[in-house]
Amino acid sequence: MTDYVDAGEAVAHRTLSNVKGEAPATRNVDYERIQGARSEPENWLTYYGTYDGQRYSTLNQITKDNVRRLTPAWVFQAGSTGMHSGASTYSFEATPLVVDGVMYVSGPDGKVWAIDPKTGDELWRYKHASPFDTSLCCGNVNRGVAVGHGKVYMYTLNAHLIALDATTGEKVWDTTNGDVRAGESGSAAPLIVKDMVVVGSAGGEFGVRGHLDAFDAQTGERRWRCYTVPKPGEPGSETWPDDGEAWQRGGANCWITPTYDPDLELLYQGTGNPAPDFDGGVRPGDNLYTDSTVAIDVNTGEIRWHYQFTPHDLWDYDSTMENVLFDAPDGRKLLAHADKNGYFFVLDRSNGELVRVFPFVDRITWGEISADGKVTPKIYPDEEGVPVHFWPGPAGGKEWTHMSYNPETGLIYIPVQEVGATATRRRREFKESIPYWGAGVAVDLDDHYGFVSAVDPLTGEEKWRWNHEYPMCASNVTTAGGLVFQGTPSGEFVALDASTGEKLWQFQCGSGHHSSPITFEVDGRQYVAVPTGWGGWVEGFLPGLLGASAGDALFCFALPED
Amino acid sequence: MTATADDRAQELHAAGLDGQNRTTLGRMLGTGNVGYAEEGEDGVMRATVRIPEDQLIFDPSIIVFPHGGDIELTLINDDKNTHCALLPHNGDPKIIWLVNHSKGTARLNLDGPGAYWYGSTTGNDEGRGLTAALVMGGEVPDSAKLDRPAQPRP
Repeated sequence: MTDYVDAGEAVAHRTLSNVKGEAPATRNVDYERIQGARSEPENWLTYYGTYDGQRYSTLNQITKDNVRRLTPAWVFQAGSTGMHSGASTYSFEATPLVVDGVMYVSGPDGKVWAIDPKTGDELWRYKHASPFDTSLCCGNVNRGVAVGHGKVYMYTLNAHLIALDATTGEKVWDTTNGDVRAGESGSAAPLIVKDMVVVGSAGGEFGVRGHLDAFDAQTGERRWRCYTVPKPGEPGSETWPDDGEAWQRGGANCWITPTYDPDLELLYQGTGNPAPDFDGGVRPGDNLYTDSTVAIDVNTGEIRWHYQFTPHDLWDYDSTMENVLFDAPDGRKLLAHADKNGYFFVLDRSNGELVRVFPFVDRITWGEISADGKVTPKIYPDEEGVPVHFWPGPAGGKEWTHMSYNPETGLIYIPVQEVGATATRRRREFKESIPYWGAGVAVDLDDHYGFVSAVDPLTGEEKWRWNHEYPMCASNVTTAGGLVFQGTPSGEFVALDASTGEKLWQFQCGSGHHSSPITFEVDGRQYVAVPTGWGGWVEGFLPGLLGASAGDALFCFALPED
Repeated sequence: MTATADDRAQELHAAGLDGQNRTTLGRMLGTGNVGYAEEGEDGVMRATVRIPEDQLIFDPSIIVFPHGGDIELTLINDDKNTHCALLPHNGDPKIIWLVNHSKGTARLNLDGPGAYWYGSTTGNDEGRGLTAALVMGGEVPDSAKLDRPAQPRP
């Protein structure tokens, strides 16, 4: 037909917006610079702020005395584009990064933005079109990007590691690193170490064999892969059935960014639960390296040591959450980890030796861990069709959202969830891309609460706690201004006195918090930024708020300029 | 009465669920035809989608591609009303405005495998039925697969 009106060619959606299309060039972020990230607190260069995972900033313009004057500087609305993938899209779980006056942040549904951190103006955007039907246990989410070597790195829902030009947002390279047909996906923020980009797998609920990978930062070529479930004959394989297939679907995925010690050249990676989550009958043994911290040689990808927090897990107690690195007064190199199982562990990070273990939640019924680390299970789903209730529930006493460590107070601030669950064992056969839990699970709809717990990791003593009606499901950040910033599921963003826990300020953001706040400085003004947006795996960590307000906004606060 | 897969189209028609302003005000989503893209010698996969008069549907509503990669869609609006298409694409979604009796193209890149939705984001076209899917078949590269024996699939 020749009489049709010529509609032309489809154009990029962003061309019909006020996005500027380019960010100012920033100084290069390389390995040396990230190692010294604490010396440039105006920036937030890497996922945890610094390699040690402390989420501590030396900025002190915002203090205990003036924080009551904190007001929104701007709000960035992520919004939806096209046929978004559902209600679980509304979870903004990222940590923003700030480099030399440019903010880079990822959102749900494959989005990445460069934003002017003084005004909230959108400089460029990128959206990765992942399939709508990717197998995802816990929402259409992304936890952040890595910035370095002139690029922005993101791991996509369909397990592609992509590199974007930091100035334009244009794709530089794209490496497919996971099998979506096998239930693999990507949600973790990558980490730049040396000339590599390190990122871990997701998909434990679908029986993926977990792994951590390192890639050439310039080309995207894979340097090494470290599987966190050993094959027969490999170290640790004796903890899996030697005549079975369990190891092939073992889980132990690495869906949270590792911390790193440049002196020891070790990555500290938390690993996920074994699969199936609740049916231990098909995987007798301790099931290494599930529910562990593994120390991985960054040069080779080999596991140097491991510590398993919940051997033969029957409660879905992933240990993917962060490992915070700090040093004891005597110089001993330590590592702190608050596990889903409700216990707080301090390890020697040079060799994995247990230094201290103590509970950090009020209610633990699944079992007991003695002071020397001996694990005694007590309540677990071991009979087909018989419901079993236990605390903490499968979201744990603390889930993936991060605690922080303030070297001035010597305290670690833990966002605590007090919520239990009932699991009923229901054995099922394994099939790729189909959820592989081995139970029906119902998390308690009521009888829950939460708090921020300030703990001295050298003694195990809780110095203070800030109580809340709801479990704490978001990361916090602590500053040299003597503050701890924490978001709540009911929408408040609060500032606490780091020494006493007294609430000094709050702002209602209109949607719950399930992300990681940061602080930074531009042109001499300190800001605190926090993504909000209630969604993701709410049914797993706080189903009592499944109907709460949802949204996708990034708030940025500062003191008034006058 | 329960419809089987084989008589689904007939059952939808009998129930008044496959057209505009019958039992419902709009068409039930995803009830259109299935089509297949053709891969050219240049590696680009091509297909044509039409919007028929008064149906508010992309036809075919589901296009199956052999694998992920570069796509060239021809979009034709045979309706007597204006619509558009906001299409998934790696980098940024692409949009094309389709006035009455118009024809245009969209060049897209999508990773396989899996299904991608698109729709006409004007008025409430999406609610009345103007949504459709681009379905990429195939497998990921061997380098992206897990080191384990082949596993059972549903």
